[in-house]
Amino acid sequence: MSGPAWRDSHGRPAEFPGDMSSQEEEEEGDCDAEASGLDSRSSASSDTDLEPEWLDSVQRNGELFYLELSEDEEESLLPETQTVNHVRFSEKEVIIEEDDTRERKKYEPKLKRFTKILKSKKLLPKRYHKKNSSDNGPVSILKHQSNQKTGVTVQQRYKDVTIYINPKKLTVIKAREQLKLLEVLVGIIHQTKWSWRRSGKQANGERLVVHGLSPGGSAMKSGQVLVGDVLVAVNDVDVTSENIERVLSCIPGPMQVKLTFENAYAVKKETAQPKKRKTQSSTNDLVKLLCGSETDSIQHGILDTPHITMYLTLQIQSEVSKEEQEILYHYPVSEASQKLKSVRGIFLTLCDMLESVTGTQVTSSSLHLNGKQIHVAFLKESDKLLLIGLPAEEVPLPQLRNMIEDTAQTLKFMYGSLDSAFCQVENTPHLDHFFSLFFQRALQPDKLHLSASLSAQQYDAASAVLLDSLPGVRWLTLPQELKVELDTVLSDLEAADFEELSEDYYDMRRLYTILGSSLFYKGYLVCSHLPKDDIVEIAAYCRQYCLLPLAAKQRIGQLIIWREVFPQHHLQPPADSDTEVFQEPKGRYFLLIVGLRHYMLSVLLEAGGCTSKATGNPGPDCIYVDQARTTLHQLEGIDSRIEERLASSPGLCLSCADWFLAAPHEKADNLTTSPILNRLQGSTKTVTSPTCRRTFFSDYSFKTRKPSPSRSSGGYEPGEGGEGVVPSPHTTPAAVRKQRESNGSEDSMALLKLARKKSTLPNPFHLGNSKKELSDKELEVYNTMKLTSGPENTLFHYVALETVQGIFITPTHEEVAQLGGSVHAQLIKNFHQCCLSIRAIFQQTLKEENRKVLRGEDHSESADSMSSLTAVKEHGVLFECSPENWTDQKKTPPVMAYWVVGRLFLHPKPQELYVCFHDSVTEIAIEMAFKLFFGLTL
Amino acid sequence: MGDEGAGSTVHLLCLAASSGVPLFCRSSCGGAPSRQQLPFSVIGSLNGVHMFGQNLDVQLNSARTEDTTVVWKSFHDSITLIALSSEEGTSELRLERMLHMVFGAMVLIVGLEELTNIRNVERLKKELRASYCLIDSFLGNSELIGDLTQCVDCVIPPEGSFMQETLSGFAEATGTAFVSLLVSGRVVAATEGWWRLGMPEAVLLPWLVGSLPPQAARDYPVYLPHGSPTVPHRLLTLTLLRGLELCLLCGPRPPLSQLDPQLLERWWQPLLEPLRACLPLGPRVLPEGFPLHSDILGLLLLHLDLRRCLFTVEPSRNKEPSPEQRRRLLRNFYTLVATTHFSPEPGPTEKEEDEAHPAQSPRACYLVLGPGEGWRLVALQLGLRLLLLMLSPQSPTHGLRSLATHTLQALTPFL
Repeated sequence: MSGPAWRDSHGRPAEFPGDMSSQEEEEEGDCDAEASGLDSRSSASSDTDLEPEWLDSVQRNGELFYLELSEDEEESLLPETQTVNHVRFSEKEVIIEEDDTRERKKYEPKLKRFTKILKSKKLLPKRYHKKNSSDNGPVSILKHQSNQKTGVTVQQRYKDVTIYINPKKLTVIKAREQLKLLEVLVGIIHQTKWSWRRSGKQANGERLVVHGLSPGGSAMKSGQVLVGDVLVAVNDVDVTSENIERVLSCIPGPMQVKLTFENAYAVKKETAQPKKRKTQSSTNDLVKLLCGSETDSIQHGILDTPHITMYLTLQIQSEVSKEEQEILYHYPVSEASQKLKSVRGIFLTLCDMLESVTGTQVTSSSLHLNGKQIHVAFLKESDKLLLIGLPAEEVPLPQLRNMIEDTAQTLKFMYGSLDSAFCQVENTPHLDHFFSLFFQRALQPDKLHLSASLSAQQYDAASAVLLDSLPGVRWLTLPQELKVELDTVLSDLEAADFEELSEDYYDMRRLYTILGSSLFYKGYLVCSHLPKDDIVEIAAYCRQYCLLPLAAKQRIGQLIIWREVFPQHHLQPPADSDTEVFQEPKGRYFLLIVGLRHYMLSVLLEAGGCTSKATGNPGPDCIYVDQARTTLHQLEGIDSRIEERLASSPGLCLSCADWFLAAPHEKADNLTTSPILNRLQGSTKTVTSPTCRRTFFSDYSFKTRKPSPSRSSGGYEPGEGGEGVVPSPHTTPAAVRKQRESNGSEDSMALLKLARKKSTLPNPFHLGNSKKELSDKELEVYNTMKLTSGPENTLFHYVALETVQGIFITPTHEEVAQLGGSVHAQLIKNFHQCCLSIRAIFQQTLKEENRKVLRGEDHSESADSMSSLTAVKEHGVLFECSPENWTDQKKTPPVMAYWVVGRLFLHPKPQELYVCFHDSVTEIAIEMAFKLFFGLTL
Repeated sequence: MGDEGAGSTVHLLCLAASSGVPLFCRSSCGGAPSRQQLPFSVIGSLNGVHMFGQNLDVQLNSARTEDTTVVWKSFHDSITLIALSSEEGTSELRLERMLHMVFGAMVLIVGLEELTNIRNVERLKKELRASYCLIDSFLGNSELIGDLTQCVDCVIPPEGSFMQETLSGFAEATGTAFVSLLVSGRVVAATEGWWRLGMPEAVLLPWLVGSLPPQAARDYPVYLPHGSPTVPHRLLTLTLLRGLELCLLCGPRPPLSQLDPQLLERWWQPLLEPLRACLPLGPRVLPEGFPLHSDILGLLLLHLDLRRCLFTVEPSRNKEPSPEQRRRLLRNFYTLVATTHFSPEPGPTEKEEDEAHPAQSPRACYLVLGPGEGWRLVALQLGLRLLLLMLSPQSPTHGLRSLATHTLQALTPFL
C-alpha cells in the first residue's frame, strides 16, 4: 500500500491549480514526444500524466472498450516473466489514487477537465501508445501479449513504430483482395509460405517477416521498418500471418497504429519464446476474444461445424444484377458455412412464399447437410431477413429461437435497428467480432467459461443453455443492510451531485442525466436502479460480450465501456398522445460500464431531454467515468460480505445427487447412518459450516413443532459465531416468533419478513418433520441438519425467473462447487436441458396468452387452444440416474429418481420456476416451495 | 368436430421428383376433407426450394412459420411428398410420420414399381386415386392413433384367449398364416403371422379396412410396403357382424368362394356373444367394467417392442372435454413426449438402455394445462410400455405418477 502511494498524494505538484497551465503544456509536450513514434517515455512522465490511460482507445465514433487485468491476474497469466524491477500500474496504486480522489479532484483544474470533455467530444488527435507501451506503464491486457516484459534486453529486441493507417482507402478493394491488408494498409510485403499453411501449423501461424516494403507505403515512409524485421504486434495485439488480416481489418478508421517489430538481428537469438507465449496466453482466450484479437486456435475448432449468420434483403434491385447483392452481411467465411450461404435462395423463397401462403412469418427451418441436421432461425424485419444457422445437435431449436431474438435485441440495443447495424460498412468488423463471440458461445461454451474451478466451469457451460436466453439477469439476494448500503452508494452516483466537478458548478448545462445504474458482482446482479427493460438489455449486451463471466473469473484492473445505445424501452413511440402521461424525451442514450476487480457498474446516461443535446459521437466523459469508478472503490469493503453470501448463499440448501447414490439403502429412514447426516454432523463441529442453514432450521422447526424458545435458539446460537462477520445485529428469534404468531394464517408472509430481516431466506422444501418423540439432545442435532421434509435434504437445483424485475435466481457457483460430484454435474446439465424444453412450452403459452390479450378475449373460449398444448402451467419430468462406470457386475447399480418441474405463473406477472428435487419429496413440500418462491426474489 | 377454427388446414402434395409434376394434392380443413387447394405457383415453389437444395446436396426437411409447419420428404428419389399443416400444435414429427404413412399407402395400392419407375404420369395419377380414401383418413381427425405412434391400434376383447384359439384354428383351416379380426380399424385378435407383419403395413391394413365402405366381403389386391412392395397379395375381408371384420392376407389361395358362410358359421357361431361384446369396443377399447380410475379421461398405452397400442378417450364420456378434444390433446401430448423426453425411436434401443443404464433417463412426465381448464396429462414409461393418461382437473398432481403406475400395472396383462 505504501509503496507507490506517496507519489500520488504528494508527488503531483503539477496538479495544483497554480501549475495548471504548465501542466497543460507538459501534456502537449508529451503528445509531441509521442508523436515521434518512439517509445521513449520515462516513468516519471507517465506519472505526471493526467490523461486516463483508456483515452487513447476511444474510437472515432466515441465508443470505447478498454480492458485491463489487475496485476495478480497478469502474474498468473505470465508466470515465467521475471518481474525484476518494473514499476507497474498496480491495482494498489489505483486504489490509493482513488482513495484521495476527493482531495485530488479539488485541486484538479477546472479548465483541464473541460478540455478533457472537449477532447473526448471532438476527438482531438489521438496518441497511440503512451505509457502502456513502456515497461513501467500500466499493464494492459494487450500488453502481455506483446513480448515486452523481459527486462532491459527487450529494448534492443523490440522496437515500436507508429504509422498512420487509413482503412478507408481499402474498402473498395477489400472484397477482392482478401489477404493483402498488410500490404495495402501498412505497406509491408510478406510472402506467405504456402507449404507452411498446409502443413497443419496453422494454429501457431507464421511469423510475419518483412520481406519487402511497398514503395510509398506508410511503413517505408516511417523509415524505421527494415527488411528482415518481424512484425509481432499491432497496437500490442500479437499478430501472426494467421490473424494479421483480421487484426488489421478491425481498424475502424484512419488512425495511428503502433507496430511492434522484433529486430532482425535479435530474432535469431531467441526463437523459442514466441511459442511459449502462445501456450501461456491460451489460458486467456476469453480476454483475447473480447478484445477482438481472436487466436485462430480458438476459432479453429468451430470452423468445421457448419454455422452461419446472414442478413439478407428481400428486395433486390433488378437493374444491378450483382453477384450476392442480396447478402448485406454474413459471417463466418469458412468452407462449412459456404454451403449454407449458397442455399440462401431457399431461405429467401421460404420467407417470401410461406408468408404469402400462411400469413405468418417464417420462424425456422431445418435441413440436412453432410449428414448433419442444421436448424436455421429466421427473423424478418420489414424487407430484411436475419438468419442464424447452427447444428441441431449443438443447439436445440428452442434455444436457437431464443438466441436469434436475443441477438436481434442486443443489436438493436447497440445500433438502434438491425438495418443500421448491418448496412453500415464500418460496423462490419464489430459485427464480425460480435458474431465470432456469439458462435463461440453457442458451439464451445466451455471454452469461454474459463474459471477457477472445473465444477464452476461445467456448471456455467451446462447452464448456459437455459440461462443465456432467460429474459433476466442472475440475481444475488443480499442481506438487507448490505442492500441498503449498495442502494445508497448507487443513489449517490445517480444523483450526479459531483459538487464542483459537476457542470452546474460552472454554469454549464449538464451533459448527461443518469437514468439509473446497476451493479454486478462476479456476474451476479447485486443492485439495480434500472427499469426492467433496460437491465435486461444491458445484461444481454454484457452476455454477448462475455463480460459477466469475465468479471466472475478474473480480477479486472480496469474495464471501461462506453457506447451509444438504443434502449428500446425509451425509444418506443409513446402509446398514447396524452400529454399528461410522461413522454420519453427525444434524447440519446449512452451506456457506461466500468469494471473494477469483480465489480461491474453499468450506468445508463441520457443526453437530450433536460440535459444538453449530444452532438456528434461523444466519447466517454472522464468525470462520469471517474465518478463511476469512485463508486466502485467505495464498495471495496463490501465485497468480502458479498463473497460470503455467495458461498453460503441465499437460503436454499442444496443437496448433491451423489450422496443419494452413495448409500441408497440407508437413506430410507436410518438417520444416523445417512451420508448427509454424517456430512452435516461433521460440519457442525467445524466453524466453516454454512450458518444460515441452522438459523433456517430453527425457525422452521418452530413452525411445525413449536418447541420452546430456548430449544430453538439452541439451534440458532451456534450459527451466530460463524456469522460474526456481518456486523449488524440480528433480530432476536423470539421477537420474530412473536410477530409470526400474531400473523397466524399469513404464515408464509411472516416467514418472508423474517427472511428479510434475517437477511436469509427459508428453505421452501423444509416443512419440519413428524418425529416428535426425539429427545432434546437428538432434536438439537437434528435441528442443525434437518433441512427438508424427508430425512434428507432433497433439493438439487433450481432456477427462478421473475420477469417484473427482470431477474432470475439460481444457486451460486460456489454453492454448486461445494456440492461437487460427477452425477450431480450430469444432473445439472440434464436439468438445464430439460428446463429448456419445458420453457419452450411455456413460451408458447405466453405467446398464446399475449395473443389473447391482444384480441381482448378471456380464457374461457377457443376450443382450439384447449386441445393443443399451448396453455400449460406446469410441466414435470421424472428422471432416473445411476452412477457412471458402475463396475460391480453382480449388483445392479443404485438408481436415484428425481423430478425436474417447471411451473409458470401468469398472474400478476409472468414468473417461471424450475426446480429439481428428489423423488421422495412430498406434494405439500413442493406446493410450499412454489408458494415461497415469491419470497425468493424479494 | 366443428369446433376447430376454419383456418386449420392440412395440405398434402405429391409430386414426381424428377419432373415436378403434381401427382395429387389432398387437403383437409378442420379435420374433414376439403376441396380447397393451394395455388399452382405455391406448389411449384414448395417443390422448387426442395429441389434447389437437393441439387446443392442440402436436404431441406422442414420449415415453420408462427402457425404452420411444412415438411418435405422424398422417397426413392422419385416421389416427393410435401405436407403443410396449420393445425394447432402440429409438429414435424407428426407430419413426417404422416408422410411415411402416405407413401406406405401409395405403395400398398399401386406397388413400389409403379412409383419408382414412373413411365406414364397420367396412368399413375389414375391409379393413385384408389388410395385417396386411405390417404384422406391420415389428414383428417381419425379415431385411431397408429399413424402417429406407428403402433397397431388394438382393443382388449372379452374372452380374448378363446377368441385367439378360434382365430388360430380358422387360420389353419383356411391355410393362411395372416388372419386378424378387426373392429372399426382396430385389431381384436390376430394370428402370430399377422403380428409379424412389418411396420407400415401392420398399421395400414387395419386402417385400410376401416376406411373402405362397408361390404360383406372383399378381395382386395395389396402390396406390402415393407414385406413385399413389388408382388401383390390378396386381402380378403369378411364381415362377421356389422363393423366386425375378419381379414385374411394370402396369396392366390384360398379363393374367396372357399370362405363360404358355412365355414364361417362353423367357426364363429359359438363365439357370437363375445363377438357382439366386441362391437362397442370400437371406440371404447377396454372391455365393460374394466377397473379404471374415475379421473381418467383418456388413455394411450403403447408397447414399444410389439408395436401395439391401446387408445381410448371414452372413459367418463359425459365429462368435458369432448372426445375429439381429448383425442387431440393426447395426440399432441404424445408428440411432445416423443420429441422432447422419450426417445422418438422406441423399440430395440430401449432394451439396450435398460442394460447400459444411461446416466440420466426420463421415466415419467406430466403436464398441467392452464390457466382455466387444468387438465392433467401424464406419461409414464416402464420397461417397454409407455402409458399416457389424460386426467380430470381434480386429480392431484402428486398422485399422477402413482395413478399412472397402477393403471399401467392393471393393463400390463393385456398388452
